[in-house]
Amino acid sequence: MTKDIFIGEISNNEEIQENCFLMKVALPASFCDPHPGQFVMIRISGLYEPLLARPLSIYSFSRGKDSCEIALLYSVVGKGTQILAGLISGSQVEIHGPLGRGFEIDKLRQNIVLIAGGMGIAPLSLLTEHLCGQKCFPQSAMTFYLGAKTAKSVLGLDKLQKLCYNINVCTDDGTLGEKGLVTQAFQKDIKKYSPENTTVYACGPKDMLKSLAKMLKGNKFFSQASLEERMACGIGACLGCAVAVRDNKGALTYKRVCADGPVFNLREVLWE
Amino acid sequence: MDTVKAKTSVNMAVKLGRLKLKNPVMTASGTFGYGEEYSDYIDLNKLGAIVVKGLSLKPRLGNPPPRIMETAGGMLNAIGLQNIGVDAFIDEKLPFLRKYDVKVIANIYGETYAEYIKVAKKLEMAKGVHALEINISCPNVKKGGVSFGSEQKTAAQVTRKVKDETSLPVIVKLTPNVTDIAAIAHAVEKAGADAISLINTLAGMSVDLKKRRPHLKNVTGGLSGPAIKPVALRMVWQVVQRVSVPVIGIGGIMTAEDALEFLILGAKAVQIGTANFVNPRATMDILEGIQGYLERNKITDINKVIGSFKEEGGFLC
Repeated sequence: MTKDIFIGEISNNEEIQENCFLMKVALPASFCDPHPGQFVMIRISGLYEPLLARPLSIYSFSRGKDSCEIALLYSVVGKGTQILAGLISGSQVEIHGPLGRGFEIDKLRQNIVLIAGGMGIAPLSLLTEHLCGQKCFPQSAMTFYLGAKTAKSVLGLDKLQKLCYNINVCTDDGTLGEKGLVTQAFQKDIKKYSPENTTVYACGPKDMLKSLAKMLKGNKFFSQASLEERMACGIGACLGCAVAVRDNKGALTYKRVCADGPVFNLREVLWE
Repeated sequence: MDTVKAKTSVNMAVKLGRLKLKNPVMTASGTFGYGEEYSDYIDLNKLGAIVVKGLSLKPRLGNPPPRIMETAGGMLNAIGLQNIGVDAFIDEKLPFLRKYDVKVIANIYGETYAEYIKVAKKLEMAKGVHALEINISCPNVKKGGVSFGSEQKTAAQVTRKVKDETSLPVIVKLTPNVTDIAAIAHAVEKAGADAISLINTLAGMSVDLKKRRPHLKNVTGGLSGPAIKPVALRMVWQVVQRVSVPVIGIGGIMTAEDALEFLILGAKAVQIGTANFVNPRATMDILEGIQGYLERNKITDINKVIGSFKEEGGFLC
């Protein structure tokens, strides 16, 4: 037995934007360092309504002497997240993780492009933190495309500005940064990057990933996307979080977002 | 964070006919993968039995997503029996399970009688399968499954055919989506079932109000979780009165108290399903909880609890 379920204590849980919360949870030192792209299942111990734990990407991680802390970014979309949003500092939550397969880091590819739409910033923020901390890439090698509906809903920019200086912000209504979709902003720049030498990391709404997949089809970018799906167990048992992918022979098969992902090669995913 | 426990003097072993279990806590098919998925969380040796994900003759892709939806006190699933197929199970998954001292029960599924028989025979030949559980109750596939389980005649027929072809103990898993579950139970008992497990999920659905569409791509799914426990208890109660073969209680068991309710009604064992999703250690928590209950009540043998239900109801105190 190597994996455990942890009781964490909320050190902060604030609404950083309308309907969007940042929760910081203190955990025992035995909680493993998460790999960027991994997630946790979070629930309130003993509560069966709502029944299932909620999968949340790890937004940030820090390790102290005798404990560590994860930060989780989430928007209130239903009953489960509504309850999480109501928890005050000092409340205890059950944390299961880190889970899933995170982003692959190819040190031979010198350019890093990160594309986040809305909540998609969460795993990419931890990735940026990791890439900067590991110092395997100069800051100048990283370019971030950060998109949101409107200025008010841009997430994670403060943190990002401390880590990365090539940041392109896009909003649907043009209230901050460029007007338009984050994928359009990337497309304008695409010729700047040599595909063989660039890794593209993406996370965001399905339509965003779908159009990115279309854009990158047939070229040599190493492109990875973190997907989202409803989950029950988070450990690969329930087969509830299926995503259609192409197998080695090109045939349709289903993979589990929780255990085979949540990060997939963008090329592998079938977008209907 | 296992707490070191004083050696218990309580007997937890139960018998399901020829099949002897260390304790009555089993896993429910489809909620425990092939065992591996949970081996990092619990000591599989401590389980009464592992019932693996339903196996078919050929691998099955399963249904397109979305496949699950949370509902009040439960969840709907329409996985569609995605599985690697019986051959891959024997080659790739069974060797892992053989390393453990735990009873392995293979849940089997077919679209035809012949397929049920073929799968059963393959598993009998493979070392390390201790019993079969015939799935005649999956609500999420178009052919086979529930269509066999909803009629006495076909339920009995598939039971008899599998029984005739294998010497392994045969458990038949029943669907609750019938008018008279006790009649089906009686029919499969007559056909030779060594034990009966119930209930599989209740057919249900959920509507997305914004889109005015079903939440599940399959439109309908199977409801599981604490919401179905009262229905499961009622059906187990009806069945234990009707049959004399061992009955395994399934349906919404989240805690030791839930499990004990089924045992008291007369179920010889229980299967833990959806609880594994919520808490990967659920089976161990339940097992320890049952032991604690026996110790607190100075009961030395779990078999003294099984079937100890007193029918007179309606007390208000």
